Amino acid sequence: MKQTKIVALLILLVTVFSCEKDYLSPELESLVNAETYYTTEAQLETALINMYDGIQGVNSTSSNDYHSLQVEFYLTEMRSDNTRTKASEGEAAQFESYNIVATNGIVADYYRSFYNVIFRANVVLENLGVVSEANRPRFEAEAKFVRAYAYFNLVRLYGDIPLVDRVIGNTDTEISFTRVATSTVYDLIVADLQTAVAELDNTYKTRGSKAAAQAMLAKVYLTLGTNYLEAQTLCEAVMNSGFALEPNFKDVFYNELNNEIIFAIGYFPDTEDSQNFSAEWLNAVGRTSGVNYTTADVRAALDALGGNRTMFSYRVDIEQPSQFQAIKYLPDGDDTLGIAATSSDPTKAGNDWIVLRYSDVLLMHVEAIMAGGNDTSVQAARDSFNEVRLRAGMPTIDAPNAISKQELLDERRVELAFENHRLFDLIRFNEAQNVLSTFSTTNGYNYTATDLLLPIPQREINLSNGVLTQNPGY
Amino acid sequence: MKKQIKKIVGFTAALALVFAFHSCDDLEKYELPEAGSIADATPPEADFSFTQGAGPDEEWKDYTFANLSTSATTYSWDYGDGNTSTDVDGANTYPGEGTYTVTLTASDALGVVSESTQIVEVVEPPTPAVPDPVIINGDFDKLAKLGSSNLCSCSGWDNDDIGEQGESSSGNGGSDNVVKFDNNEPDHVYQEFAVTPNADYSITIVTSHKTIASTPGTYPGSTLEIRILAGAGYNAGYTPTYYTAAPDFPNSGYGYTTVAQVETAANNLLVETIPNPNDDDYFTQTYTFNAGANDSVALFIRGIGGDSSVGSYGYSSGDEEIRADSVTITAVN
Repeated sequence: MKQTKIVALLILLVTVFSCEKDYLSPELESLVNAETYYTTEAQLETALINMYDGIQGVNSTSSNDYHSLQVEFYLTEMRSDNTRTKASEGEAAQFESYNIVATNGIVADYYRSFYNVIFRANVVLENLGVVSEANRPRFEAEAKFVRAYAYFNLVRLYGDIPLVDRVIGNTDTEISFTRVATSTVYDLIVADLQTAVAELDNTYKTRGSKAAAQAMLAKVYLTLGTNYLEAQTLCEAVMNSGFALEPNFKDVFYNELNNEIIFAIGYFPDTEDSQNFSAEWLNAVGRTSGVNYTTADVRAALDALGGNRTMFSYRVDIEQPSQFQAIKYLPDGDDTLGIAATSSDPTKAGNDWIVLRYSDVLLMHVEAIMAGGNDTSVQAARDSFNEVRLRAGMPTIDAPNAISKQELLDERRVELAFENHRLFDLIRFNEAQNVLSTFSTTNGYNYTATDLLLPIPQREINLSNGVLTQNPGY
Repeated sequence: MKKQIKKIVGFTAALALVFAFHSCDDLEKYELPEAGSIADATPPEADFSFTQGAGPDEEWKDYTFANLSTSATTYSWDYGDGNTSTDVDGANTYPGEGTYTVTLTASDALGVVSESTQIVEVVEPPTPAVPDPVIINGDFDKLAKLGSSNLCSCSGWDNDDIGEQGESSSGNGGSDNVVKFDNNEPDHVYQEFAVTPNADYSITIVTSHKTIASTPGTYPGSTLEIRILAGAGYNAGYTPTYYTAAPDFPNSGYGYTTVAQVETAANNLLVETIPNPNDDDYFTQTYTFNAGANDSVALFIRGIGGDSSVGSYGYSSGDEEIRADSVTITAVN
């Protein structure tokens, strides 16, 4: 009897082991499976769209979700001299006062969100084999455009960061926890954008395009401060691609996908693809106690230099008249300004987020010609600068007068206020230290030079068992 | 009773034993540390970077210092010019040009100190004057040509893909020192040169037209056309080589290779024409152009106004010969 049992057990063992590997890990058939899903071009097209879904971020209040672009203003605008919280409360207020700690949830949210966008782009690149040869360059270029965009944001915010250029798994800790020099990250950004410039066309505004890649590459070169001539050439290529300034400044923001838009992230009202930052910028409309409220500093600049842009940039908070709100992305409209609501539920707003627009390119053109100098009196630079000034109803700078670096920086501030440019502009113009330390002293904040980089999220450092190092100052 | 005593003694002994084992090592951690009794696990590390100011006035003397130290609480800056500070980030205005040794001393609350020293070279940034471009054989002297034993005033000036070579001639007080755009021929000169992007340049050219013949000539006759062509219009992937001697220049397959490229409006930074003044003296013309988004441009000059079916380039000079004595290009600073 005992022997029979042993024999039976042996037979069972042999049977089990002779099965193929997937006996114990069967193929998932009843649901979509990431490893086997991408077999046709149409399916990989969904992976392209999926990248923009990642940038869009989830419209929710759960701190575990990936909010992506919807929390970008905390890390950029609220860390500049443009905006602050209304109530100086909670971790949101760490940004304005330069008291950010490595455990700040928003810092971690943005970090993991944009690495998730990079993952989505790498998924496209990993599965290019299913695309026809004719369309493969376009798929590759679009994925690389998005990957470059994500890295450009991350490298400017966090400094040296892990460089993930393929789909990696949980065990690839060497890649996910090794910080590489910013110059290496920029090498990948430049290479990816060059591919995008070569292979994309200008079909889309809410997806990667040639013009978007050109404008972004120009900005990368200006940030690196090395390749001014190519930056100028790229700006001029965009300037010859049929874009134009909207005659009325208001229409830039409230007439979506207008002539001035080069690249925007689309949101759809009252759906899962909506956004909540519009509401959060308005206390009693959003669920925070009011964030991205304007500073007195930016209002002074707008009052002096904004021209007809000022009334469409900020307004008084009717709930509390001593406070002023940024209004380029109002979800619930403004009757006085003739702005309609973009959604029936303001916390599910439909306002697109503009990443690149034509006036940014015109002002980058001036910056490229200035080429790191203190001023420029080249006529081509004056032409671009004055185009922006004329639309704003502000005086032009005419020959033989030069445009100074300060005038250019100020013009960018009032033209692009509350569009997440200010902090990067200050750093790129090498004025961050001067401007932010003065601003910090005036307001009793704690700015020091190391605040120009965010902390690497403590969560990542913990996961890495301490391999990932922290930025100085945290 | 005896048993009890035994028990107590035994218990006490055991207790003493336990204390003996634990006492020294384990209880010491509850003692207050003396200075230096515990190693500083996170000693400070001083580090900083610096940036020179920029602006229209004396901002170049202003330096800002970014404190990149780790694990430190107090700082002391020595800027090397006698100025010091205990702020976190440093800022100093130097008296003038010179070499200064800047030291940042970072300490933590345990009194551990780290020092970082860097040399700051304070130099007033030069106002860069745009240099004059280098034109080879701008006097059209009769020189050797690549791969030929013949001498030609067109040496350094030939691009056979977009025209026939100019020819040598004499005039304006010298011999073999002018280039000739023959009547009824598609003659040209072409040369590439380096420029500073967005800089203004002035081009001066000395030319003469033969007077308009009464027969069989037709008015206005030959016109000399001068173009500055953008480097952006060169063939894709082409990088210009700037030869220093006229005989080294190639004569085809470089830069611009078709007349259509030359005539594309977007490729032209300057287009000027000199019609026949009906006076065969030498006249001087000066034009200006801006280099735009180019670090290289080409000067292209040809005779037009004649029968476009002559030759294979789609243009030709009219009935009179044109001569160019010299061309000079200088930066406008």
